[in-house]
Amino acid sequence: MSSEKVVIRFSNVKKLYKLFPNDKKRLISVFFPKAVHYHSKWAVDDVSFEIHEGESVAIFGVNGAGKSTVLKMITGVAFPTEGWIDVNGRVSALLELTAGFDSELTGRENIYLKCQLMGMRDPEIEASEQSIIDFAEIGEYIDQPTRTYSSGMLARLGFAINVNTEPEIFIVDEALATGDSRFQEKCLARVREIIDKDNVTLLFVTHATDTAVKFCKRGLVMKDGKVTFDGPIEEAKALYEGGEY
Amino acid sequence: MRTFLKIIRQHIIWRHQLLKLAKADIIKTYSGAALGWAWAIIKPAVTIFVFWFAFDIGLHLGEGAGYNEYPFILWFMAGMMPWFFMEEMFIQGANSLRVYNYLVTKMRFPIATIPTFVALSKLLVHLALMGITVLFFLCYGFAPDRYLLQLPIYMACMLLFFISWAQFASLLTCMSKDFFNLVGAMVQALFWLSGILYNVHTMNVPDWLKVILLFNPITFIANGYRNIFIYKVWIWEEPAVFGYFLIMLVLMTGFALWAYRKLYREIPDVL
Repeated sequence: MSSEKVVIRFSNVKKLYKLFPNDKKRLISVFFPKAVHYHSKWAVDDVSFEIHEGESVAIFGVNGAGKSTVLKMITGVAFPTEGWIDVNGRVSALLELTAGFDSELTGRENIYLKCQLMGMRDPEIEASEQSIIDFAEIGEYIDQPTRTYSSGMLARLGFAINVNTEPEIFIVDEALATGDSRFQEKCLARVREIIDKDNVTLLFVTHATDTAVKFCKRGLVMKDGKVTFDGPIEEAKALYEGGEY
Repeated sequence: MRTFLKIIRQHIIWRHQLLKLAKADIIKTYSGAALGWAWAIIKPAVTIFVFWFAFDIGLHLGEGAGYNEYPFILWFMAGMMPWFFMEEMFIQGANSLRVYNYLVTKMRFPIATIPTFVALSKLLVHLALMGITVLFFLCYGFAPDRYLLQLPIYMACMLLFFISWAQFASLLTCMSKDFFNLVGAMVQALFWLSGILYNVHTMNVPDWLKVILLFNPITFIANGYRNIFIYKVWIWEEPAVFGYFLIMLVLMTGFALWAYRKLYREIPDVL
């Protein structure tokens, strides 16, 4: 299924987080960069890889290994300190599903807002509105402000919206861990449907290695900001579970 | 300059979304309260009443000259209405990136456009208030005249200056809450130091102090609104004052661009 077209390319990407002792020091550093000392944390340290169109890739790694930072940079919400990133295609990211909403707006208003922000036009949104609501199983809560939603409801709505935007590059974070097991099954089935279409690229970040094996052929293992393994999924899984990487 | 063009381009590409977000911002501010929209009017109304009572009824300041035959309350309203917008922009503008942090950290969105749609949402409330102001003048028997044509010019000046301000301030607010608290502490001071409660042109102070006061963009805008409604002066009749404002606008835009270039990569990391 994978073609020769590269949709994501990381070239020697590094990401530095500046850790200041407090906010005041950070403000001072804006005006006098040399006057303040801070700790440097390289969250991503010299990472290079290429992902081709239609590939499905899993990324394994313990907490703090730099997975989320890599995903954020692919999504375009964080910028690399050094190196280059090329991303070609509409990215739909299921990062922290529960947080992408305006809590004062109702579920329905949030559907419109989020779809508009993803570049959809009103008639398109109207057409998919009902299927989003049905998929999310929100029911009559749809016209209540999302601050009154439970975390499960938020996650379901977030997932429903994201899978409706016909992504070219589809990023799935741990997000699927929310919701009951029946809903998880439903989500996974939907993910399967999406990636079975040609030329949809999947990036799957998870600790659930068994699920990853079902979806992906290739696995990346990250540790301390570096990619320590890049190869067939079974080997990546064995390596990650064995802890020797 | 490249940064400036980049920001303009982002505004053009995302124009539809900006209007939707401005709309959502208004809905958000006023929904969930029983009186809803009325609050946009009640708050200014209370403020104007309090000042009118204190200054006109209490201190008898309304009897003095300098209001060009207009009652004190009309003179006061003409200068105070733009202040409501400016006050909102000082605070909400500075806070805009923090309030809309989900646009910064959760999706790909040009952060430079966030202050703009916040400003547009405040502008709509301002337009409503200006409509009420014109009605008030009508009730007192003063019909709108051709000087009202200047209103869009002064509004545009105010909008541009405060979008630049919000751009600059919201970036620094992300870096540190201290900055935001500083802004909050300064707003009241700026109100009393600006020509909203007095006419800087006719003040009995040395000329050098007058020039400093005229450099204040708040004074320029409050005075401009009064030029329309009270003094009946055209904007080109005071070229120096307009020049001072343009200098301040360019400076503010410069600060905003400097802050943007320096900080936009870091903002998603610190929010």
